[in-house]
Amino acid sequence: MILFASAGMADTPLPGKDKAETCLGCHAIEGYNNVYPTYKVPKVAGQNADYIISALKSYRNKDRVHETMHANASALTDQDIIDIAKYFESLK
Amino acid sequence: MKIIKVLLIILTIPLSIQNVVADYNAGQEKSQVCAGCHGADGNSQITMYPRLAGQHRDYLVYALEGYRSGDRKNAIMSGFAKGLSDQDIRDLSEYYSMQKGLKTLPKK
Repeated sequence: MILFASAGMADTPLPGKDKAETCLGCHAIEGYNNVYPTYKVPKVAGQNADYIISALKSYRNKDRVHETMHANASALTDQDIIDIAKYFESLK
Repeated sequence: MKIIKVLLIILTIPLSIQNVVADYNAGQEKSQVCAGCHGADGNSQITMYPRLAGQHRDYLVYALEGYRSGDRKNAIMSGFAKGLSDQDIRDLSEYYSMQKGLKTLPKK
């Protein structure tokens, strides 16, 4: 079992990949617009993990104001946030 | 009638565009202040600071305006953004958005 697990490591997706599924609805659509105010939903693939962690925590505790991001971040544990951030950073 | 309509549209275009026109070269020049944290081309190697390279131009404008107005809070960024004019914000956003870096998330 251990051998099997280590042999498959390279192909094992990061845990954040599944956890980031909700993010795809906005952040995986090229040129998708936020409204009121209007600006394109920021690109997050390749973003630095530590920055994503602080951004998601700020949304969660409402230091950073965005209704949808607050709602989504509120559902995340600290570990979820770390996993998602590492997944985004891996997409360089 | 059609010609009048077309003329009217052409004449009103300048009014609908914001007065500030982004200047890439000016943005590159102004970005030297930002490079210490965000990297020369916006690909920050210090992971607590966001990469800006390739980010959407209008999102960067929104973010900088937010720091400037205080809507978005960050001790470091509010200090820098306070000194920026509308022109500075557009120039910087133009420069960083044109660099190679960030991407849209891949679909499933």
